[in-house]
Amino acid sequence: MNFAFDEEQVSLGDTVARLLADHPALVGPDLDQAAPTVWQALAELGLFMLLVPEEQGGAGLAPIDLTLAVEALGGSLAPAGVIATLLATDLIVQHGTPAQRDTLLPQIAGGDLRFAVALYEADRDFDPATLGAAVDGGVLNASKIAVADAAAAQMLLVIARGRDGMGCYLVPADVAGVTITPHEDIDPTAGLCAVRFDGVKLDESALLGAPGLAIARLIDTAASLHAALLTGIASRMLDTAIEYAKTREQFGQPIGSFQALKHRCADMAVSLDSARSATYYAVWAASENASDRARAASMAKAYAGDVARQICNEAIQLHGGMGFTWDLALHRFLRRAKVIEHAFGSTAWHNERLLQETLAMLAAEDEAGRAAA
Amino acid sequence: MDFNYSPAETEFRLSLRAWLADALPKGWGETVFLPSDEHEQAMFRLDWERKLYAGGWAGINWPKEYGGRGATLIERGIFAEEMARARAPEPINVIGHNLTGTTILAHGTEAQKKRFLPKILSTEEVWCQGFSEPNAGSDLASVRTRAELKGDKFIVNGQKIWTSFGQYSQWCFALVRTNPNVPKHKGLSFLLIDMKSPGITLRPLRQISGEYEFNETFFDNVEVPAENIVGDIDGGWKIAMTTLTYERGPEDALGRQIRFKQELDQLLRTLVRHQRGAGHAIDEPAVRQKLAKSIAEIEIVRLNALRSFSKLESGGDRGADASMTKLYWSHAAQNMYEVAMDALGPIAPLSGSDPQAAALGKFQMSWFQSKAFTIYSGSSEIQRNIIGERVLGLPR
Ligand SMILES: Cc1cc2nc3c(=O)[nH]c(=O)nc-3n(C[C@H](O)[C@H](O)[C@H](O)COP(=O)(O)OP(=O)(O)OC[C@H]3O[C@@H](n4cnc5c(N)ncnc54)[C@H](O)[C@@H]3O)c2cc1C
Repeated sequence: MNFAFDEEQVSLGDTVARLLADHPALVGPDLDQAAPTVWQALAELGLFMLLVPEEQGGAGLAPIDLTLAVEALGGSLAPAGVIATLLATDLIVQHGTPAQRDTLLPQIAGGDLRFAVALYEADRDFDPATLGAAVDGGVLNASKIAVADAAAAQMLLVIARGRDGMGCYLVPADVAGVTITPHEDIDPTAGLCAVRFDGVKLDESALLGAPGLAIARLIDTAASLHAALLTGIASRMLDTAIEYAKTREQFGQPIGSFQALKHRCADMAVSLDSARSATYYAVWAASENASDRARAASMAKAYAGDVARQICNEAIQLHGGMGFTWDLALHRFLRRAKVIEHAFGSTAWHNERLLQETLAMLAAEDEAGRAAA
Repeated sequence: MDFNYSPAETEFRLSLRAWLADALPKGWGETVFLPSDEHEQAMFRLDWERKLYAGGWAGINWPKEYGGRGATLIERGIFAEEMARARAPEPINVIGHNLTGTTILAHGTEAQKKRFLPKILSTEEVWCQGFSEPNAGSDLASVRTRAELKGDKFIVNGQKIWTSFGQYSQWCFALVRTNPNVPKHKGLSFLLIDMKSPGITLRPLRQISGEYEFNETFFDNVEVPAENIVGDIDGGWKIAMTTLTYERGPEDALGRQIRFKQELDQLLRTLVRHQRGAGHAIDEPAVRQKLAKSIAEIEIVRLNALRSFSKLESGGDRGADASMTKLYWSHAAQNMYEVAMDALGPIAPLSGSDPQAAALGKFQMSWFQSKAFTIYSGSSEIQRNIIGERVLGLPR
């Protein structure tokens, strides 16, 4: 048992953070300043081949190896397509047929296949079981919302109900019947789109993994890695706040010497550290398919969601009027954190799931106890 | 990063689990519980500690030469998990184990280690902590209890307060003033005091829970052999800081988490069974959200401790981040007992042996006790000062 990252895991996180720092537009104030070369730069770094097994030309790493890199993606407000592509890669590695793996993974490894995940619908809640999207006779009809980075994606991972239950379907973005329309929303840089699927014909190989199983893995891995994006954002906001607290002076002293602020910074630091404990464990549990994978994932996403919200809000407060300015760009982190809070299950939804998983665990323990007696 | 346990670690877990199944009374935690009388309960808990020692389960990560098991902090983590799983009683000699022992291991002479450590492990000697005084709490360095070196003895005069478990203790470690003429941090010494020494009087203090766990301790010309000093004369502040680092550190947090987790699990089981209207107490949506948050927070107390263990195992320093550990567990647990009271609904105020009280009034008692969590071992405000200044580097 060792709850510390090894040197390679740490150095990967540093490398990704440094690369993203070369693209300052990512965290600039304006919402239309794209950083068009960042995808290519990450691809050249080899980010997309890391989760791909060696047989398909990758490095054969697990999500846990990328945790700190994902935190860096979060803290640098990297394009949402990056995380969607990593999630799709994991799902294809874990649940893909040999044919799916052989055709898709080498393209992913080279950075030539960009994904978006089409999950939620405007008239349904966060529970994937309630979705209305349906595949009937090989034809998909669905109306999805908030599909991050859909306009830039070549492949859509669509969650829809098929004959055998809720499944994950691979749908090329350019096939007939797919309409992608950018939303107006609080964070245009996340590239949220409405995506309609009107009578889209799916071929045999569209279904990824067994219905039920693949979506469960997707939710757990996504929740865990989105928790890491959130800790990345929270960490960056806290650093910014502390830096400001040390330099900004009022009443003849740095504002960080006032206990009211110092104490809140301390609380934020403790919250962040705790969110990291939950997140790192969850990513490990997802990587290992541990028996408490779902519980750990929901714990991490719910907890990190609360913490990122707390820290974004407090960091703005601590900057006073400056914090409310467009140009300081704190709003960029506020926006992205709120989008991520609502991606792959809200805090409330994950809390409910965490409770249910915990009660089921206790019931199983009691059952085992009775059986032993 | 790997939560898989090695075969040796798993073997450790299984042998402990088997031992526990035999060592605890039949029906423990289901039909048989701790005695409700405070004194009987203390005796029961002391007996339990002796049993752990006899079974070879005391001082998991202490060196073998002083009676410990010489295992790793990881095994210490496993130990905590198994104690929680078996719903084992909380020890009383925590101060001996977590504060005296660790401080003597870090700063004591070889003779002190040989003399004191084995008896802590065997619970022959229970310890209490003589730091706080009526006028020196958060501002610990302003303690006034005087110790004057006369020949080969210190003569101690003054008063300590809030001395937990003083009534069960054979020994006390105390921070005393040996030099009043220098800046306050520079005139302190750290003494080991035999509680049987003539001139010591204890006066019990009643707590908000109604219990009498802590005391006032008076020292009237108490003689302490000069060799019972840890560290140098007037060098006691440094020693006391080591004590505080352990008092606030991950071993302490993990030990407490055992109890929080047991009680949270018990709460959940109670709510699942407790009928309310057409359903059960667990069905209340507003309460479910709060319960989930507490489940996360109590689990994170454990995860934070394990993360600190891994840092320490790979050579990291103990330092100001102990304050982060302490600040987190104290508020997580305090919230949890508030949630427990929310969740119990109309029966929440019923306590003790009232026939309608849940779980023999355990949640109400713990709710009272939890109010101390954010005060002792350094109040939350003090922890936040330390974190702000020493971890985050904010100006004073
Ligand atoms: C149940 C219990 C058991 C205890 N057991 C022991 C024991 O065994 N041995 C022992 O030595 N002591 C023990 N203590 C004492 C404990 O360590 C002190 O109570 C604690 O350090 C606070 O000191 P105080 O009570 O003097 O409060 P004060 O220091 O007077 O504090 C009062 C309030 O002021 C705040 N405050 C103080 N200074 C600052 C500051 N600089 N900035 C902001 N706020 C500040 C505090 O946070 C607190 O809210 C115990 C306490 C309790 C409640």
